[in-house]
Amino acid sequence: MARLIASLGIAHAPGVTGWIDKAPQHEQDAVLAGYAEFGRRMDELEPDVVIGVANDHLLNFPMSNIPDFCVGIGDDWAGPAPWFRDWLNVPDYKIGGHRALARALVRESARAGINHAFAEQLLFDDNWSVPLKFLFPRYDVKFIPIHMNPIVPPVPSVQKCLEVGRQIARIVQAFPGDERVVLMGTGGLSHDPGGPDYFTVHEEFDRWFMQLMESGDTDRVQREVTFEKLLTGGDGGAGELLSWIVAMGAAAELGKPQAESVFYVPSVPMRCGMGGCYWPLS
Amino acid sequence: MGIRDTDRTLPSNQMVFELRRDPQAFAAFQRDLEASMEHYGLSAQEKQAWRETDLAALARLGMHPYFLPQVSRLFKGGGYNHNDSEAALLYAKKMNIASAGGSR
Repeated sequence: MARLIASLGIAHAPGVTGWIDKAPQHEQDAVLAGYAEFGRRMDELEPDVVIGVANDHLLNFPMSNIPDFCVGIGDDWAGPAPWFRDWLNVPDYKIGGHRALARALVRESARAGINHAFAEQLLFDDNWSVPLKFLFPRYDVKFIPIHMNPIVPPVPSVQKCLEVGRQIARIVQAFPGDERVVLMGTGGLSHDPGGPDYFTVHEEFDRWFMQLMESGDTDRVQREVTFEKLLTGGDGGAGELLSWIVAMGAAAELGKPQAESVFYVPSVPMRCGMGGCYWPLS
Repeated sequence: MGIRDTDRTLPSNQMVFELRRDPQAFAAFQRDLEASMEHYGLSAQEKQAWRETDLAALARLGMHPYFLPQVSRLFKGGGYNHNDSEAALLYAKKMNIASAGGSR
């Protein structure tokens, strides 16, 4: 059977690839060291498949039809989407998919009462382009993107996100094959694209959230991570952290819900609380 | 104003959605803003807001917050979008918020 060997949550802010030289040197060093540490861990783990969970930045789904979660079942992916190329400053890349496991995620989630949408083609922006560049710079894993909606209300509840994560873990663990799989949630931490806090980072909020991931306490997560609370970390941005909650749900399913905080840098030049946490599951 | 105030059915939301995905639509927008707005069925209020790049007005009309900085990039370009870039400064000005005051 396939095995889920790690899950993680990590920021995907475009400034890291697009304009990090405008941040003070100590911030640049700390952010890049954080991403490098994740890259080092992925090099060591050598996963075969990476399941990504992150928000769609209103790039793939028009306002008329936005799914809670959409699983990419395609054989191949390419990025970044053209309009985002110069913004992201990431060289064009291709990465393979894993159709069979992606289809299993859709099919078996449905049996568990979760209605995932699915798509053959998806455009990639910073949600994948930034983390893939640092964690899988050779693009030599098979990638299953899951685009979720935390930013056009009504958004999935924390309870649902935890359950989605649990189901991903169950489905991976039951998948016939010997794939070693990593679940990568991206987004966050505090940021406010399109709001008054565009140039503000909410450090207290970020430290609260990362400590919550460290605690592994899914009951506390359900009590404390409300929609209203997420708005305080940046109206249009902090909701992305629901992807980390999916990653936590998967870890909880394997009995290891306590995360390790890997790095955290509040960065106004990046317009985001930059950070990441990690759940070792093997 | 925030994500809860989004009017998903606002024509301007569909326009921004498409302009970032369709290079021909984007080129047409750059050539002729009025024709583009007409094509997407914008209201008179929306059109006036676009003419003035009045992001706060677009927000009040129900544009999704995510699209607001993207509108500034539609006009000013997206490359090297640091806090002192034209796009970021335009965003700050049109949203009536203090910019970051330069990188340190």
